[in-house]
Amino acid sequence: MSTRKPYVRPMAGWWLKNPVYVRYILRESTAVFVGIYAVILLVGLLRLSSGEAAWNNWLIAMQSPGAILFHVVAMGAAVYHSVTWFSVAPKVMPPLMFNGEKVPVAKIVAGQYIFAGIIYLVLLGLILWG
Amino acid sequence: METIKADIVIVGGGGAGLRAAIAAAESDTGQSIALVSKVYPMRSHTVAAEGGAAAVTQPQDDLEYHFNDTVAGGDWLCEQDVVEYFVAHAREELVQMEHWGCPWNRKEDGHVNVRAFGGMKIERTWFAADKTGFHMLHTLFQTSIKYPLIKRFDEYFCVDIVVEDGRAQGVVVIEIATGRICFIQARAVVLATGGAARVFRENTNGGIVTGDGMALAYRQGVALRDMEFMQYHPTCMPGTGLLFTEACRGEGGYLINKDGYRFLQDYGLGPPSDEPRNKFMELGPRDRVSQAIWHEKQKGRTIDHPHGQVVHLDMRHLGEKKLRERLPQIYELAEEFMGLDPAHEPIPVLPGAHYTMGGIETDGRTATSLPGLYAVGECASVGIHGANRLGSNSLVELCVFGRVAGDEASSYAKSARNSSTATLEKKADDICNRVRGLVNNANGKERIADIRNEMAKSMEEGCGIYRNAPVMQKTCDKLEELKQRYRSINIEDKSSAWNTEWLLAIELGYLLDVAQAVACSAINRKESRGSHQRLDGYEQRDDQNYLKHTLARYNSEGPPGIEYSKVKITKSEPGIRAYGEAGEKAEAERNKKKGAAHDK
Amino acid sequence: MTSNDKIIEIEVLRYRPEQDEKPFLQSFKVPFTDDQSVLQGVQYIKDYLDGSLSFRWSCRMAICGSCGMMINGVPKLSCKTFLREYYPGKITLEALKHFPIEKDLIIDLSDFINKLESIKPYIIPAAPRTLEQGEYLQTPRQLDRIAQFSSCINCMLCYAACPQYGLKPDYLGPAAITLLHRYNEDNRDAAKAERMQLLNAHEGVWGCTLVGYCSDVCPKDVDPAAAINRNKLNSTMDYFLRFVAPRGGN
Repeated sequence: MSTRKPYVRPMAGWWLKNPVYVRYILRESTAVFVGIYAVILLVGLLRLSSGEAAWNNWLIAMQSPGAILFHVVAMGAAVYHSVTWFSVAPKVMPPLMFNGEKVPVAKIVAGQYIFAGIIYLVLLGLILWG
Repeated sequence: METIKADIVIVGGGGAGLRAAIAAAESDTGQSIALVSKVYPMRSHTVAAEGGAAAVTQPQDDLEYHFNDTVAGGDWLCEQDVVEYFVAHAREELVQMEHWGCPWNRKEDGHVNVRAFGGMKIERTWFAADKTGFHMLHTLFQTSIKYPLIKRFDEYFCVDIVVEDGRAQGVVVIEIATGRICFIQARAVVLATGGAARVFRENTNGGIVTGDGMALAYRQGVALRDMEFMQYHPTCMPGTGLLFTEACRGEGGYLINKDGYRFLQDYGLGPPSDEPRNKFMELGPRDRVSQAIWHEKQKGRTIDHPHGQVVHLDMRHLGEKKLRERLPQIYELAEEFMGLDPAHEPIPVLPGAHYTMGGIETDGRTATSLPGLYAVGECASVGIHGANRLGSNSLVELCVFGRVAGDEASSYAKSARNSSTATLEKKADDICNRVRGLVNNANGKERIADIRNEMAKSMEEGCGIYRNAPVMQKTCDKLEELKQRYRSINIEDKSSAWNTEWLLAIELGYLLDVAQAVACSAINRKESRGSHQRLDGYEQRDDQNYLKHTLARYNSEGPPGIEYSKVKITKSEPGIRAYGEAGEKAEAERNKKKGAAHDK
Repeated sequence: MTSNDKIIEIEVLRYRPEQDEKPFLQSFKVPFTDDQSVLQGVQYIKDYLDGSLSFRWSCRMAICGSCGMMINGVPKLSCKTFLREYYPGKITLEALKHFPIEKDLIIDLSDFINKLESIKPYIIPAAPRTLEQGEYLQTPRQLDRIAQFSSCINCMLCYAACPQYGLKPDYLGPAAITLLHRYNEDNRDAAKAERMQLLNAHEGVWGCTLVGYCSDVCPKDVDPAAAINRNKLNSTMDYFLRFVAPRGGN
């Protein structure tokens, strides 16, 4: 009989055992809020196509405290998701070369924030003056 | 006990063992190869080699130069015919490594780049950053996976060679995971188990470098040759002995004493220049540089450090960018282990035991005196290092002679026949009982760690950079005492699976035998040569009496018997071994003489 | 610095297969100096407190890859983690997560070795070259594409960091995929098409959900997460291109 008896440790509750895993699960669960938000937007579109009264009712519903609370939470989730995505993006893309040197990860991450900031400013400009 | 049959068994999965295995697998014999290693092959100590591997590469270089550097570097104790073979086959083996994927550093045009190294006249050291051994080992390991004929026995620990009818016919191994002992029957046995610098306290070596193969062959009556020549590497981390590669100096680093003075100029290595100059100053050979540090200590010009007297390895002038590119591991070691930034601070260093120049006596084709037994790599003394190895010669040795060992074992195994399996198994059974007895009967009072530490301390005192008879005698006596005490060793762990205490005890037995061979070889060599330097009236090299190899022969009752054998000289008569300006003069002199001889 | 007056508590998850049903914690008091590593701590235990404690180690300089363990829940090389970083708190040591424990701090790594062997980790050239032809040309820039990914020391900290490997042991995992990527990116190699099939499989890159912890714990800055996730793009391209060309994108 072999003297080996490998012990396999259980995985139950693994994601609570390390703060990195907790943050990972949080990141993944932000998808739920983003998903619900997308459904709400779709419903809004349907309302819009059903006529002015339906659209106005939808707008009123969106102003309820519950809806505002949800949007705040969803906004937080989306921001959290973006931040985590920005930080891993350099791993997902091929190495970025500039002048024969690899662009440092920190610069790529910073570049994304700058890019996102510009988009937001453009959007804001369109809404305010467009 | 289970018997496993193979055509060839190779013990040791480092660079030499893997290269031998691949060579044997590439022969057209279809032989099965059992590759036994006490660790997974990529853990082998080849992994820690940093600087590089030497081969004549540049147009202005010449095989003759590599030969001369090696022979003079070894203080004329090299087997010159073997060195000739070695330098002639170095480059093709490194190209072979390149074909297998080794990520050598390159020049802009895509050809392999070379760097300067100590004691080498022309830059000829191929390198993969400062992790050359790591890359070579992983390349060899990964390439070995291609060959189905190589059957690996990872984490199997070799306890003895089975000798019958005057031939090596297999090995007995412990499967570490279970404690099961098996017999691997083979027609040829190759030992590639590495060095034995763990017999010293301050050393650069991994915990596994315990002279296993040396002790195994030695106990079977094969001589250990030139064991007194133990290389001290000049630049090691105080306390742990971890290595800062010679490439630090090849890339331009300075060694300075407490006054910021490049002291090597006082020891026949000058004059200094800002840029590294081959065979000058910091690019002198390791024995000379380590000895200079010892002298600085005597003169009180070293720096106090909690772990002893140190000098400084100064690379500040090289700048962070170059250091990160060429010496990333050194940077990491300094930062993480010592908390200092080598681009802004000098690194405190001191010499540490690094490499066993001697080893199992073999001929130029890696065959030992025991038919069927081959030895290669650091565990062997094939004859290229003499009294002092040049940095970057040993990684090439693994390849050049690893291949020879594979070929030779393969052709030997083709013609040899094993004795009857029953006879061999009977022998293996006896070994098995002895090895099991070690753990079952180990209920004495002696602690493994105590014996090991006392041995290492005594070796450092007696067989350090400078030696004298009374202290060496004390070390010899101490080793004899420790061998007695070893008999009443205590092993607490009586289990079978992963009983690492049992393995430590067996390794300690190997270490003690090898240490004794080192100390007894040293005390009997009454001259100074290469890394063997005496202060008791034998300060000079004595070619009259000691231009010969030491052979230590095992004696189960006491200290080994010491014999001597001739050194093979083909074209380089022993001359003045000098570096720096004096070296240039000596070389000009030699050339003149040669020219004159030629004209006649 | 070398005075031995500080004592740290080291708790080790012990498991002795011939005696124990399951692992248990055992505590040791270890004297130490500020320059001592966790590895030196466990060596002290083995030498002076309990000779039966088992662990792997060799080089002491973070290159052989033997001495990985969970140190207070984080996979690390014990040779380059220092006791002072934890003092006066205690240290808890455990065998690398997600691998079966053989004994004490020793895991069974045969699964990893099998995976490493499965990815053809060697150069398969388009046309073999003779030694007389000399070396292949490889520019520093081409070397740069593989340098980082060929620095993996097989210490398996990344596997201990990867919950997906813990949940789905069939997943090829960070180090093996990184090594595969290293050979695919080597300009001397021509076997990308063969290896892509391994990557495309469910156990290949798609087993990764980009937790990213593998790259955080890597002691050699190999960044396995990058190797894996760049290959998600390669794998997608390969999948679609196989509709038009049998060898995919290669």
